[in-house]
Amino acid sequence: MELLLAKYNYWIYALIMMIGLYGMLAKNNLIKKIIGMGIFQTGIIVFYVSTGAKRGGTIPIIEHGHGEEVHEVIKALDYVNPLPHVLMLTAIVVSVGTLGVALAIALRIYTEYNTLHEDEILERVND
Amino acid sequence: MIWQIDIMILTLIVICGLFAISVKDLLGAAVVFGAYSFLMCLLWTEMGAVDVAFTEAAVGAGVSTVLFFAAVHRSSRQVKARVSGAMLYKGLGLLASGLMGGVLFYASTDFPDWADPASPASSHLSPHFITQTIAETSVPNIVTSVLADYRGFDTMFETAVVLTAGLAVLIILRLGGCRTAGPIREKNAAIQAAYKDSIIRFVTRMVVPFMQLFALYVVAHGHHSPGGGFQGGVILGASFILLAISYDLKMALNRINEKAALLLANTGVLIYGGIGFLCLLLGANFLDYSILHRILPATDEIAARSHAMLGVEIGVALTVMVIVMIIYNNIVSNGSYEKGL
Repeated sequence: MELLLAKYNYWIYALIMMIGLYGMLAKNNLIKKIIGMGIFQTGIIVFYVSTGAKRGGTIPIIEHGHGEEVHEVIKALDYVNPLPHVLMLTAIVVSVGTLGVALAIALRIYTEYNTLHEDEILERVND
Repeated sequence: MIWQIDIMILTLIVICGLFAISVKDLLGAAVVFGAYSFLMCLLWTEMGAVDVAFTEAAVGAGVSTVLFFAAVHRSSRQVKARVSGAMLYKGLGLLASGLMGGVLFYASTDFPDWADPASPASSHLSPHFITQTIAETSVPNIVTSVLADYRGFDTMFETAVVLTAGLAVLIILRLGGCRTAGPIREKNAAIQAAYKDSIIRFVTRMVVPFMQLFALYVVAHGHHSPGGGFQGGVILGASFILLAISYDLKMALNRINEKAALLLANTGVLIYGGIGFLCLLLGANFLDYSILHRILPATDEIAARSHAMLGVEIGVALTVMVIVMIIYNNIVSNGSYEKGL
């Protein structure tokens, strides 16, 4: 039980990345491959945010930090690690950019070959 | 940090991920993927990553799902299995992902325990940010202060990456394409006729101003609460996408046409880089905001950092808003800007 609690997040991130990689490699449809890519990305994000979690920590916004001065001493143990959050926040926004480009390429392929399926595209490219 | 909820959400996430990969209909897969993103958003909140959760809710569960719908609308929703060699691909895929998974599971034995406060990731750099953010920048939201100040250089180029993605979509679909909308199938035309619905349009007209007001609040209040330029920008872009869906693409394009959109996108990156360059002109390092107290009235070095962060967040919000719109407009009309969802 101890081991399960300590490692569960890391096992699941590996499982999510496996699902994503399988989707990218084995699926025939391009949109399905793009969904696989999205799942792979979120797997990495799960890993990063998991490393930032802290037992007994609250969200990384300083309490009573809105007034003129903070009365209590700020202790690092009271707040979860904000660094992975920053990295992953920008990664999510960039992921919508990559998703847009990927879908645009898939649509161009569809107008060119009239199919989204990998085997049919390869057939029509070779013709 | 409640492990029961953590385990429950993670299990649901794996189930949703498996479904999104295996559903035989692309529209269904897009919906399941949206649900998957929403569960992710719950997971981030559970682990205390509120800013990440906000971004995931706006980007992953919101805009990404709409983009998938737009792409499926423009192509086809059917999924066909491979005619030959399906087993080979499945076997190779299982082998590769099994190998990768095996390595990752093996590596997980070396990781520190989940939520361990003494883990290496939490004990070297981050205590400085947590304890010094108020003293050095007067910004209580540590994620914002790290994003826009301590790691401002990185965020500037992330914004540039978003701009590049928008330009790439423009080049692929609008300039490189044949600019034809393609035949809209009869069924879709029928759906479009049915959606000229006065209720939907009325509600949209009521909701959009509040959405945009909320987005401005998210941008301006990102120092003190979850949010910031990225989230606010995506919500602003989503309000225009809502207009484009409930009315039509022309209506949204009349509000912000392509030329104005590109101008705004570049202005956003220019604001960010310009603030950095201003610091350089005043004699400090690039993006060292504290020097700006010389030109900002009634500020000291600490308040100047807080105000300059608001400036770069506005730049980020402008770029992200416009790029989200450009990506949607191009994908939904196949680069022709003629007919939308």
